[in-house]
Amino acid sequence: MSERPLPRFAVVGHPNKGKSSIVATLAQNDGIAIALEPGTTRENGHYPLRVDDRLLYELIDTPGFQRPRRVLAWLQAHSLSASDRPDTVRAFVTQHRDDPRFHDECQLLTPILEGAGILYVVDGAVPYSREQEAEMEILRWTGRPSLALINRIGAGDHLADWRAALGQYFQIVRDFDAVHAPFEAHLSLLRGFGQLAPEWEAPLEEATHHLRDQRRHRQHQALQLIAAALADMLTHRETGRLRDDGNRDALEHELGQRWRDWQRQREQRLRRDVEALYQHRHLRRREQALAWQPGSDLFSEQARRTWGVSRTYLATAGFGAGALGGAGIDALAAGHSLGAGALIGGVLGAAGSVFYGGKYADKLGALKVLERFTGGAEAAFGPVRDPQFGYVVLGRALEHWHQVSHRNHAGRDPLTLDGADRHWLEQLPRGERQRLQKALLDPPREPGDVKRRDALESAVVQAGEAFLLWRVGVS
Amino acid sequence: MPLSPVRRLLDFDAQYRRDQQHTPDFLHRRDRRLALAREQDGAPPPDAAAWLSAVDAPGAGAALRPWRRGRAALTLAGAVLGVLTMLGVLYVDGQGRINVTLILALALLQLLLALATTAQALSGRRPWGRLLGRGDGAPPVLRQLHPQLAARAAHGAGLAFAATALLTLLVQVLVRDLAFGWSTTLQTSAPAYHALVEQLAWPWRGWLPGAVPGLELVEQSRYFRLGGEAPADPERLGAWWPFLAMLWLCYVLLPRLILLGLARLHLNHRAGVLLRRHPGWAALRQRFATPWVDSGPAPVAAGAGPAVPPADTLAPPPESGVVIRWAGAGSADLARNLLQDAPMQVLEAGGSASLEQDRDTLTRADLGLPVVVLTRGWEPPTGELADFLDDARHSLPANTDIVLLPLAADDQTALVDGALLAQWQRFVDRHRPVRLCRP
Repeated sequence: MSERPLPRFAVVGHPNKGKSSIVATLAQNDGIAIALEPGTTRENGHYPLRVDDRLLYELIDTPGFQRPRRVLAWLQAHSLSASDRPDTVRAFVTQHRDDPRFHDECQLLTPILEGAGILYVVDGAVPYSREQEAEMEILRWTGRPSLALINRIGAGDHLADWRAALGQYFQIVRDFDAVHAPFEAHLSLLRGFGQLAPEWEAPLEEATHHLRDQRRHRQHQALQLIAAALADMLTHRETGRLRDDGNRDALEHELGQRWRDWQRQREQRLRRDVEALYQHRHLRRREQALAWQPGSDLFSEQARRTWGVSRTYLATAGFGAGALGGAGIDALAAGHSLGAGALIGGVLGAAGSVFYGGKYADKLGALKVLERFTGGAEAAFGPVRDPQFGYVVLGRALEHWHQVSHRNHAGRDPLTLDGADRHWLEQLPRGERQRLQKALLDPPREPGDVKRRDALESAVVQAGEAFLLWRVGVS
Repeated sequence: MPLSPVRRLLDFDAQYRRDQQHTPDFLHRRDRRLALAREQDGAPPPDAAAWLSAVDAPGAGAALRPWRRGRAALTLAGAVLGVLTMLGVLYVDGQGRINVTLILALALLQLLLALATTAQALSGRRPWGRLLGRGDGAPPVLRQLHPQLAARAAHGAGLAFAATALLTLLVQVLVRDLAFGWSTTLQTSAPAYHALVEQLAWPWRGWLPGAVPGLELVEQSRYFRLGGEAPADPERLGAWWPFLAMLWLCYVLLPRLILLGLARLHLNHRAGVLLRRHPGWAALRQRFATPWVDSGPAPVAAGAGPAVPPADTLAPPPESGVVIRWAGAGSADLARNLLQDAPMQVLEAGGSASLEQDRDTLTRADLGLPVVVLTRGWEPPTGELADFLDDARHSLPANTDIVLLPLAADDQTALVDGALLAQWQRFVDRHRPVRLCRP
């Protein structure tokens, strides 16, 4: 019994039209897009999708056409009729395999002649021009199933012209923004590849099924990572020895500094873990750009205003009222407050301001004497005493996770924190808000504290789903 | 030898913490492969022991070493204390008698202590926790087994105490002439005391009646400290020993033995529960069950290209000459106004033009003047442009100045992006004497 032919796709096109970006996004590999200088792909890059070591399909990133008019001229000069065109293309590759002038053309044509489907990529942001017709004509000569992808690299919009022109050469024409297309669009595109040949449909359908499962699995893992980091950060304390003749303030300052540094490092570790989970291996190289804006780190007033909640909310969480940092009370009251929310929110906001009149970071912890001994005492800074610290950590972690999980691997822009005039907690049902608050106030104290750990994980999972809903509303 | 549940838990916890140094991809791939290998053999995914063996996890038994040493020391102390205690109880001076009531009380105390130890282990409380400190360096998961580990150690010591005390009693019976009697300040009668003794002997009175003292013996062996009268039959006073030996066996030694067994079972059960609730266990089972989706390795990142001179250090274009728009780069107006003197010709090449048209363009450009080629700087240079420049060098006079002017994305201004300029600089370096210029 012969083996079912596996779908293979050669991503071809003019240099620098986004071939590598398409492959980077579909292969979930951010190394492809940033490793290469535009137009310098000289050898085919193979990006198979394997599920449990079983190959389901393969994308082949090829060099761009360098001398299409010369190739077409050679083909036309060596063909007698339309029926010998694929053979003539094969003859061209055989004839010029060792000719450095046609190295790139031989590279890109070889997988096509070996049975790969054609994904021809153009840039829909620039006007259509006839200069690429030689390339399209060569591809048509191969006789292989083909699909044209209109990628958009810049701001221009010439999709209609491209669609009309590409339709004359390719069986299927699709738009696909490699940088911004949502995950469902990736899957839809993959399924679209299956239309090129009936025998490719099943493996591609299976691949999309596995990719969707993988995404769900990653979301679960990411939220578990966030819950674990929350537990660590909410229970961490720094200890030191306070001698009877020692300076209490100096020790408090030192331990407080160490405590804050530890928290920052733990947050960084969480970010790296989440990025690794989503295979964004190169985000860290742009950590400078990734860093939240100066003055907006974990302990800044801005972080508190953006992600924190007021003391009133902490006191009333779960009862349907409360002032969320920057959030509207009307939203919480499901629009029935008829504007009273604005007034109440103002009052609650003022209450919050009074409570946080000093520096937020200074209110997070204090030195506590644990145990006395001869000549001094064991003292500790932490765990955190301000319950809204948990909301700040959680909000920042969810925002980072959301951005990383929705970021295509072709993206090169640095991550930035988006502000919003509403609070993500608005999306959380009342009961869940109460459960979240309880879990943040009573985090697991040790790894085996299963009950509290499960409660926190469950609350974070609900929070993650609410955050996604909120993000859809914001964007 | 199979791992004990406690060792399995400790090894698993240690491997879990080690795994946190690995990438999620590696862990998923490794564990999914293990599960698939078992699936091919028709077996379920590996259990914890098989998984630990498969990943070649180093043992973490060292964490139990302090407990093992402590248990050995306690057992030894219990054994020594058992001998000393029984010797003390059996110590008599002159014609004194050994008070059976004292031995009954000691046995009762031992039984209560054993039950209290078990109750504490079952409740999970560790009031003596401060003695063990925070266990710096020990895995946190071990701390959760402290009540059960302590109960096992205590029962071991108690068993050693009971065994050596019983042996001491038997040896003393053998080598000495022991006289037992009973005495109490409480107002009680010999029949009442006999009833108590009979009740206590219920475990063995059915099959070992010789070890149950009769009423006569109870009556005869009562004594009062200030009574002073000699016993009726001194030989009979030694007849208490079978009862005392069986009492010790049934109310001290056997309960300790049974509770030690229960403590071991409880410890193993608790270790099993902790393993199943371990955060790494759920994650591991998820990795076993979830297919591994692999989209290929990351390519090796290319290094940065050679440094390029800043755009403003590039020479300006010649004052006059022929302008060729490659693949339609730049507008016709731009081409006409680019040079100080109006260009002699504005020509087209590349793009949708045919190769013959390119050759014709070069023929028309042969005016003995410099040639400026406008290109789209945001697109990388192609082989066709390289061919065109090579053809130009060969077909135009040798001293013709051929300059390349890459344009920015607006198709109107010169390219200033350093990275893009670098690739154009490298391109012209391969096609000298062609050079780059900027207006």
